[in-house]
Formats: sequence, C-alpha cells, structure tokens
Amino acid sequence: MDFGILKPKLKYYPLIFSLLLAGCTKKDDPVPVPGYQPTPYVIEAPFGFPQKMNIPEDNPMTVEGIELGRLLFYDGRMSGRTHPDSLMSCATCHLQQNAFECGIDHPVYENGFTHGLTGIPTPHLMLPMINLVWNMNGYLWNGKISNDNPNSSFRNIEDLVWMGVVAPHEMNGDTNRTKALIASIPGYPEMFKKAFGSEEVTMKRIGMAVAQFVRTLISSNAKFDRYMRGEEQLTSSELSGFVLFTTEEGADCFHCHGGFGNPLFTTNLFYNNGKDTVFPGTDDRYALTGDPMDLGAYKPTTLRNIELTGPYMHDGRFATLEEVIDFYSHGLLWSPYINPLMHHIANGGTQLIPSEKADLIAFIKTLRDEEFLSKPEFGPPAKLP
Amino acid sequence: MKLIKTLAYLLIILFIMPLAGCNKSEDPVPEPDTGKITFKFYHYCDGAPLDFDIRKYVNEAGNQYMVNEIQYFISDVTLHRPDASSYMIMAWKDIHYVDTDIPSTHEWKVLDEIGTGDFERITFTFGISEEKNQSLMFVDHPESLMFWPQYLGGGYHYMKLNGKWLDTNQFERPYDFHLGIGQIYDSQSGEITGFIQNYFEIEVPASGFTINKDQETVINLVMKVEKWFNNPHTYDHNDWGGDIMQKQEAMKLACENGHDVFGVLSVPPSLRYGGRSEF
Repeated sequence: MDFGILKPKLKYYPLIFSLLLAGCTKKDDPVPVPGYQPTPYVIEAPFGFPQKMNIPEDNPMTVEGIELGRLLFYDGRMSGRTHPDSLMSCATCHLQQNAFECGIDHPVYENGFTHGLTGIPTPHLMLPMINLVWNMNGYLWNGKISNDNPNSSFRNIEDLVWMGVVAPHEMNGDTNRTKALIASIPGYPEMFKKAFGSEEVTMKRIGMAVAQFVRTLISSNAKFDRYMRGEEQLTSSELSGFVLFTTEEGADCFHCHGGFGNPLFTTNLFYNNGKDTVFPGTDDRYALTGDPMDLGAYKPTTLRNIELTGPYMHDGRFATLEEVIDFYSHGLLWSPYINPLMHHIANGGTQLIPSEKADLIAFIKTLRDEEFLSKPEFGPPAKLP
Repeated sequence: MKLIKTLAYLLIILFIMPLAGCNKSEDPVPEPDTGKITFKFYHYCDGAPLDFDIRKYVNEAGNQYMVNEIQYFISDVTLHRPDASSYMIMAWKDIHYVDTDIPSTHEWKVLDEIGTGDFERITFTFGISEEKNQSLMFVDHPESLMFWPQYLGGGYHYMKLNGKWLDTNQFERPYDFHLGIGQIYDSQSGEITGFIQNYFEIEVPASGFTINKDQETVINLVMKVEKWFNNPHTYDHNDWGGDIMQKQEAMKLACENGHDVFGVLSVPPSLRYGGRSEF
C-alpha cells in the first residue's frame, strides 16, 4: 500500500516546524530568553525523600526566579487592584504559620473556610503547601492539575497561579489586569529580567516564578525526621502512636499516609475512606476518571504539620484531630466504592481506645516542623517593590 | 656516523615493536554473540484476563471475591541453560516492580546482553531476598509506597493484592492480601521477638526459550490470581480476615500457594480471538 499521499512532502517540513514554533511563541507565552542563564538553584533531597521531583523542563529552579516568586506570592497586588480592600495574594490564605494553609484560626476566614475577594465562598477546602515538589500524582483534592491532563493549562503549580487570579471565589480578577499592574510597579520588570532574561511581564512568567518559590517550601525537620535520622528519640507515647500508625491491627494509617519509607506522609493517590454513602461525583476523582471505583475518592493530605491545618477532610467536616481519629475509630461508612485498604470497615473502624487515640495524636504531632513554620526564607519579604 | 646508525636502529626497533605487539597470539577474544530479553506481565483469573473491580470470582474456599489492584516485586530473575549453567539478570537492576494500575511497569526491557542459545527455564524470587530488602532503598514513587513498616520487619511489601470478598454475613469486606516479612510474637506480652523472611523462589513452568543474536526475546509472564488461594492450601478469607501483615500463619499459607502462581503465556491476550486461554 502506498501511503505517499498521506505523507507531508519533505520540503514542507521547515514550514510545518516554523508554524509549530509560531504557535508556541504567542505574545503571552514567552520562554526565558534563549541563551540567558540565571543562577541555578538545586533542591537537595533530604534523608529518605524522593529523588524524582516535579519540576517542568521549561521552568528550572533559579535563585532569581525564586526570589521573584516569593515577592509575588506575598504581593496583594496580584489581584490586579491597588485599593487596600481589594488586595489579595497567595499568602492572604496560605499562611506560613499554618503550614501555608488557612488554618482554623485565620483572622479573616472563620473556622478555616475561605472566600474570595468579593465574598464568594471557596467551594473546596484548602490544601497545605508542603513538599509539593515531590507530588508526581496531581495537585488538588482530585489530582486535576496533573502532567497527564490533556489540557495543557491544567498541569502543574504554574497553572494554579493564573487559576487563583481569575477564580471568582479567589481573586476574581483577570490576568491582563494583574500582569499590567505588576509590570507598572518599579522594580518588578528588573526582577523579571534577572529571572527570565527580559523585563517583559506575562502571566506565564508570574506563574513560573511563584511555582519556583512554592517548590522550595520543604518540610523535613520535624521531630519525626530527626528520629528517622537517629538524632532524637520519641517519647513512649509517641512511639506507641507510631506503632499504631504503621500496623494493620492498629490504626493502619501508613498505607495511605506514609511513614518511615515515605516521609511525604501522603501517597498523593486517591481513596474513598468511608466518609459517606452517597456521592455526587462532581469534585472527586470520579469527576476526572469516570471510574465508579473513584466515587468519593480524594487525596489524603500530608500529615506534616497537620495539627495546624484544620478543618479536616476535603469538605472540612471535622474541626479537630480528635474528631478525625474518632471517625476512623468508630465512624466508617460502608459503600461499594470504599477503598479496599479500609479493611477496618467490618468493625465500623479501628476501634481505638482512648489511650491509643492519645498516643496516635502524640505521634502525629511529631510531624510538626517548627523550622518550616518560621523559616525566614519562606516568610514575607521585608519590602515589596 | 656511528651515532646516526645507532639512532636509525633504535627508530626501526621502536617502530617495529608496537607492530609486533599487535600480531602476537593474544588477539582480543571476539565478543560473544548476544541478544536481549523483555518480560511482559499479565494478570489472569480462572483462565482469562483479570476483570478488576467486579465480584465475579469464586475461590476454592467458596469465597466470592474481586480484585481491585495488584502491586508486587520480583527479583533475582535467573535464566537456566540445559547444561546447568545460569545467568542472573542484574546488569542494570535486579528488582522489578509491577503495578496493575501503572501500564509502564507491565513491561521490563532488560538491559543485560544475554549470551545466545537455548535456555530451559526461568526462576525468580517473589518479593525481595533478606540481603537486598533494605528500608529506604527505594525513595521514589511508586516503589517507595511499598515500604513495609520497620516495626513489622522493615524493607518492602513483596506484594499488595487488594480486593473485596463476600463474608459469611453476606457483607462485602475489603481484604488486603499483603505479603512481606512475618513476625514472631511472644504469646504472653504480645511483643515481637523475631522476624521470618517469607520471600520464595518461583520456577516458571514451561519457560524454555532461545536467545538469538541481536534479537529481542519476549517472555509473557502471567500471574494466575486464583492460584494464591489454592494448592496446596485452601485459603479462606473468612478465616484470615481483611489484613494479614501481622498474621504469619496466613502469609505462610499464601507463600506456599505461590509456587505455581506464575506461568508463561504462549499467546498474549491481544493476539487471541477471545474466549478462554490454555489454563
């Protein structure tokens, strides 16, 4: 069979190639200036942490990019507005002292439930920004933002930035206004030049810089990390809690939440953990995959600094860790979609007694990382441009 | 003049010596003929490709069950020749992870150059040997998610086979058929006093093959899931419940059943017309 008619003639290849390139270089889509080399920034994997990192090839980590990203992360003018009532940045909700989550004690967002600049409630609960550079399985509760997403606008942390700008329940802005405002602020264009090789401010570059900063937010020095490294011992109660955490006949948290062997304290996979019996299927993993076994399945959030990131579960139904442990002990609900790892469903839960619950919580609190919560490099810059 | 002659002789000797060296009888041995081997992994139940997430199977104990996912390691894959010599695959890696949810793990293109000729059988370790099964040797996903808690012996799960079965109360219960290092518990205190290595060797039946020069030989390995639950032991989920990581007796039965779990598919599913396979 002759396929010649289907083959583009060789002489047309340069034209096709040029067209493809033209498609990639629209005005708001600049790559860093060719040949420009900002200072590379290397993330060293802490002890026991993965070597593989989710860093896009077209957005390598650089000192200048991270510095710019940190400023933008904390700059309320990311909303595209300048009136004091209309300022909003990533850090408006993502507080360092609450593990870059809202937390239940946020001064504005009551009980940890956020809303946008115009008062529209955010339909999902926040997730903390911890060790996101090692998430290979998709961001958000159902993993929508993933390298596997056929839509290239929903693939990585970079994309979460523009999404936050335009979402009605977040900044309720538009990207043109944001980039125009940032470009008009003396100091920023120079920083864009240092980071990307030219002063041009685009939403893509804003997203790239913020994503670089977010990828530096690494928690690896909690008490449990020091225990893993042999630097510190756990108390008797914490050790008992650790045993419960990592045994099937105990609380069996580790299959979904990690432990020694998976120090991220999440698999970043998706599970129906027995919270409900009826599932709308609109914001869960099923909403993406259409697989009935994904009904009611959400990501298990990392347990690092978990005591600061209430309320809990994808909808914030539990205000305290104690309520969460009670649920797993006695409150599991059966459905055909419950994940098979929830083998305690036969008894309605793990049936922990009060002393065991206390031990388990004592262990979970060893995942609090004070260094992460107060590290100056992660905090607000002394001065914005 | 004498000096010139001497220098000329020296130059001739220096020129000839290297040439003589090239002609000595120790010529480099020609590289042996080699080929490549690739393993593909399939998962069957009752003679047909496994249907996940559907409670359609009945094991020898009479349990109606389904399988949701299977994740496992095989290691120390060894290719045996008729003359009793063997070759263990390990040039690039000696442990392979298979995850039914991750298609890329269903094919292992071995990088080793295998000497040509006939091989009569394949053996491998199901799981990871005691010597190699060290905590934190896998730090990246998905292998790292297989870690086996240190308190229970450390290292990694040999296998997670997760599913659900209909128990005696007609309640659909999850089972986590997880294999790894077993524990010995003190009958009085309940404390762990020792560990038991449960990894075991599998000899794949009818697994002879030939490696041809510069060619890739594909071996289609198939896990027959129902075999985990019979021969020699009838494994009843009602007896062991949903979790067995801390039940050495259950893991022992499972591992003893594991001897005939693997086979070779002569014709992989995509090439068949459908219907039942040879099992």
